[in-house]
Amino acid sequence: MMELIGSILVLLGAIFHFSAGLGMLRMPDAYTRMQAGTKASTLGNTLVLAGLVFYHPAWGMKLLIIVYFVLMTNPVSSHALARAAHSIRLPMAGDTGIDALRDREQKSGGGT
Amino acid sequence: MIRRLSVAVAIAAFGLVFLSLAVGYTEQVSLRPLAESYVRLVPQELGAQNVITGILLTFRAFDTLGEVAVLFMVAASVGLVLGPTQPLSAEAREEVAVKARPSSEIVRSGAEILAPLIAIFAAYIIMNGHLSAGGGFQGGAVIASGVLLMLLAYPRYRLALDFLSITESVAGVLFVLAGVAGLIFAGGFLDNRILPIGQFGALFSAGAIPVLSMLLGIKVGCELSVILDSFRP
Repeated sequence: MMELIGSILVLLGAIFHFSAGLGMLRMPDAYTRMQAGTKASTLGNTLVLAGLVFYHPAWGMKLLIIVYFVLMTNPVSSHALARAAHSIRLPMAGDTGIDALRDREQKSGGGT
Repeated sequence: MIRRLSVAVAIAAFGLVFLSLAVGYTEQVSLRPLAESYVRLVPQELGAQNVITGILLTFRAFDTLGEVAVLFMVAASVGLVLGPTQPLSAEAREEVAVKARPSSEIVRSGAEILAPLIAIFAAYIIMNGHLSAGGGFQGGAVIASGVLLMLLAYPRYRLALDFLSITESVAGVLFVLAGVAGLIFAGGFLDNRILPIGQFGALFSAGAIPVLSMLLGIKVGCELSVILDSFRP
């Protein structure tokens, strides 16, 4: 029973990873690709590791630390990448209407 | 057409090569004599649970010393190639620092949370080298990744390069001195039995291997940090 639950969680995680990969291929510009990769792979990682806990309960604490690490690093790194892309004015997909970061930089004067 | 045909022929040829390899493969049931003697001798004589670390830091420690020397030369030559032709004056340095775009608050907060974790993880890897997977080289690389994170979060931060190079040299000298001590007090250069072997599997065991791992970790971490710093404008 435990192994079945673990397998289902791992499978769910794999599906999220797959959708991350699909998003990388299908999304129109760098920013949307980045968010597809980050969100889906963060959840996918968490689910795979949660599934592993059911297989090896003794590894629980270590896997929890790994999940914490992934939850801390993945969003921060993609945030930094997206900001860097924005600051070199990487073009967005044609129908993007809102650019909050540019608006804020213009409002605070100067900007980059 | 010819191109596609040649690609197909190449793939088929590769397939044949790998097929012959796969068919001819028989799983090895017993260890080769050399591997067997290592597997027997490392836990027995060196008291190290991790056979690979025992080999790397005692039987073939001279190789490891050479690898560290190679890394040192890489650090020196990267600094030579990428560094400024003459040392920057304080004002020029300040100017470069002001031009650097500050990182966002999220990155800074993330770096502040992660840097201690990375340091603890590096210490764990280094100190567990003789018990499980890990060792000085890997731990040093993790230290350098923490330094890289800090450099990304604080672009204006200046590494204390002098301190790093002195620490690195001291660690290297201590490593060689430990080797010479092995020559005098134990079986040979870089023998780990200059310190008591201790209980098998304990954190402080396997003679000098944890000490050597630590020195290696410090040295590799400093070298890689210097290399990372020289990639900055």
